[in-house]
Amino acid sequence: MSFFQQVKTLVSKEILLEWRSKHAINSILLYIVSTVFVCYQAFKSVDTLVWNALFWIILLFASINAISRSFVQESQYRQLYYYSIVSAKAVILSKIIYNMLLMVFLSIIAYFVYSIVFRNPVGDPLIYFIAILLGGVSFATVFTMVSGISSKTGNNSTIMAVLSFPVVIPLLIVLIKLSQNALQGLDRAISYGEIGVLLAINVITITISLLLFPYLWRD
Amino acid sequence: MYYMKTLMLTFLSIICLLRMAVAQPQMAQIEMATGLRSSGKIWVVVLVVLTLIIGVFLYLFSIDRKIRKLENHK
Amino acid sequence: MMRKNWWKILAAVMVSSSVVAGFMGPVPVLPILNETIRNIYFHVPMWFSMIVLYLISVIFSVKYLNSGERNHDIMAVEAVNVGILFCFLGLLTGMQWANITWGDPWPNDPKLNGSAIATLMYLAYLVLRNALEEEQKRAKISAVYNIFAFPIMIVLLYILPKLTDSLHPGSGGNSTFSDIDMDHNIRPIFYTAVIGWILTGIWICTLRYRLRLVENNRNKLD
Repeated sequence: MSFFQQVKTLVSKEILLEWRSKHAINSILLYIVSTVFVCYQAFKSVDTLVWNALFWIILLFASINAISRSFVQESQYRQLYYYSIVSAKAVILSKIIYNMLLMVFLSIIAYFVYSIVFRNPVGDPLIYFIAILLGGVSFATVFTMVSGISSKTGNNSTIMAVLSFPVVIPLLIVLIKLSQNALQGLDRAISYGEIGVLLAINVITITISLLLFPYLWRD
Repeated sequence: MYYMKTLMLTFLSIICLLRMAVAQPQMAQIEMATGLRSSGKIWVVVLVVLTLIIGVFLYLFSIDRKIRKLENHK
Repeated sequence: MMRKNWWKILAAVMVSSSVVAGFMGPVPVLPILNETIRNIYFHVPMWFSMIVLYLISVIFSVKYLNSGERNHDIMAVEAVNVGILFCFLGLLTGMQWANITWGDPWPNDPKLNGSAIATLMYLAYLVLRNALEEEQKRAKISAVYNIFAFPIMIVLLYILPKLTDSLHPGSGGNSTFSDIDMDHNIRPIFYTAVIGWILTGIWICTLRYRLRLVENNRNKLD
């Protein structure tokens, strides 16, 4: 099997598994809806700055919860089985792609729920939507590798948070700035720099993950 | 042995750097601590800080020597 | 190299001469900063040393993944330990300086926040090491995290401040070093201080490394 075929098979396997046991994705969706509702009950109405920050914080925690189990749910024996039939790079790439799809799906749902419950004028919906997509993708790339690392420490969820926060804070700063620009409906040329930085961080993260995962896996 | 070398080299390089320092800064309305400088008391501060720094470095050298002894011991 | 003496003497000489010249040398007369411009000889070298030590740590992590040699892992950890020391020194001196010139020990400045996050990253590295019991596994996984986090930290420290306004020179709307503070009088003293402190940091790091090696040998003999 060629490399890309391996990746394709693994991604479709992930989707199939997710589809069969719907409880995981349902619990994340419920988590998002209930957090949004709690925030609404607590704040009622907020200004744009807080609105934006709240949204990213909700999305951040939802994505940590969603992705932290991506390596844990598979037993040691199954991982050993993968190890014997596919390359390590195919495994990490398929995980990243699957998590990207999952995060894009989750963040769009989160955005819809959030904007229905919390009404707020968005100045430039297209750029805001791009920010959400990029945010979901970036969270997925960073958290996949970190969850791979933290799964080696005995599935400790505190370790996952400790390891991922410093890595994700720079992303969050750029994302909040970009989405704030979109909320205020500033000129699009201003936002290109931030979009470029986000894309660059994603490329760097994926490359490093591909380079490093074989070492992590060989146990 | 190192100590002597260190001290001598330090003072040599201080002299070199100070010779570059003779050019006087232009006077402006912006207040600089010229009083402290003209009275020469600033040298007391320099001496204190220098003593601290050299003390720390001598300490580092002594640790270095101790580790070397341990390494050669085995 | 590690046991040679000349570069240690050089470090001592450079640091102490930069102290004297830093106090007594001429400095540009600037508003707000006044005499505190001299802090540039003492505060900024801390960050340079920190970056160099983290760089050494990453290099040794890469080496460890390639070779699997335990000594490389020890070097990587000790470089992080000493780097964190320099980071805290830089943060403390920066807060003292900022309190006088910017009127606030923690102004909302991207460089400040960036270095605080970088500290968190390396503290997380140490936490990760503590969480792993088995020695080989610990070395390998922490090396992976170290290499993973380093490029993101570089992005954090260099690109982010350029995107947003910073009080520090050389970023945002501020002029760079070369415009105002770095006139030809300052430059030689500044570089002397930087190189001196970097060498000192490396020296402390090698001392800790050698101690660990001696310790390990002793444990092996017992």
